[in-house]
Amino acid sequence: MRVNQERRAQWLRGVLDLCVLAILARGESYGYELAQSLEAAGLGPIQGGTLYPVLLRLQRSGLVTAHWREGVAGPARKYYRLSAAGSETLRLTANDWNAFAGGVGAVLREVAAQ
Amino acid sequence: MNPQVWLAALAGELSRHGIGPDLAGHVVAEAAAHLRDSGEAPLSAFGPPAAYAAAVADSVGGPDLRPPRRVPGAVRLNVRGVTKRYRRRPVLTGVDLTVRAGEIAAVVGANGCGKSTFLRICAGLASPDRGKVYVNGTVGYCPQDSGTCGFLTPEEHFVLIGAGRGMPRTAALRTGRANAAALDWSPVSATQARHLSGGTRQKLNLIMARMGEPDVLLLDEPYQGFDRGTYLDFWHEVWRWRDAGKAIVVVTHLLNQLDRVDIVLDLTSTKERVA
Repeated sequence: MRVNQERRAQWLRGVLDLCVLAILARGESYGYELAQSLEAAGLGPIQGGTLYPVLLRLQRSGLVTAHWREGVAGPARKYYRLSAAGSETLRLTANDWNAFAGGVGAVLREVAAQ
Repeated sequence: MNPQVWLAALAGELSRHGIGPDLAGHVVAEAAAHLRDSGEAPLSAFGPPAAYAAAVADSVGGPDLRPPRRVPGAVRLNVRGVTKRYRRRPVLTGVDLTVRAGEIAAVVGANGCGKSTFLRICAGLASPDRGKVYVNGTVGYCPQDSGTCGFLTPEEHFVLIGAGRGMPRTAALRTGRANAAALDWSPVSATQARHLSGGTRQKLNLIMARMGEPDVLLLDEPYQGFDRGTYLDFWHEVWRWRDAGKAIVVVTHLLNQLDRVDIVLDLTSTKERVA
């Protein structure tokens, strides 16, 4: 079980930034809401300590933009939005990932079929 | 560990990892918002403060090496003894102001104390009864209202003002759109200025004032009608322009940003004070 969790964490490290971009392609969002969307998408609970450094990296590389905005009732939150460069990167990398995941899936299906 | 203690420890660790105060403030505020929203314990959400600070430092590519305080450059705007009366009533009496490249001056004072008149004199749009204004470089002026043409679209404004600054059409459009995005605005190409909200028209004014990167920016309460988020973005933009070496004069009646400016000119008492 423990090994499985470590493996899952490894998988996630490779694709979390891509998943964050994909969720932001639906519309702007803030950190906690993103964590909830990722969990709802079946990626498991994502800790803040993992998520926010990824967001910072995406912001620094210009793939997302960020704005502080006052919530309807609550305090200010930092909202992230996909930039034009982010949307282009997402499109290209999603294609690469689909090809890669398709290959992995095909090989593993041979095992499942035995 | 209770969230306040954890957040305070995080602030210390960020500084220890060479993260500048601006970014550190954002990181701590965002972590605080996350803890409030999620109700999670800080240690399980973010781990130990030192480890999280190291992850943040890693993700921004090492320590922030910019000097904490910029050295102001050449004098860009020099106002000496400006006096102006309206019908025998003195509005401005012997006003002095010196703003260097890389400085922000805030002009404050009660309604009707002559803040807008002072800025118009600096811009060369009104003449003083006495006194002189020396400008070293180009000037951009953002009026409190008006300044836009009702039947032109935002992008036509960019091209028109850009042409006045000697910018080709494509460069003016690109600059205008980029500066609009920084204020959280993406202009719709078919909308004429008269159909924009007051706040959006002010964004347009602000973008026009910045066309061609003038050395001196004169901003007359340009954030009227901005929502709170855009207002914060506006001040971040102003600090960025200052760091890029612009000399900026902002007329404001809001005093809560005065700790972030370099010079305060209070026209109520016509005294210049250094912040």
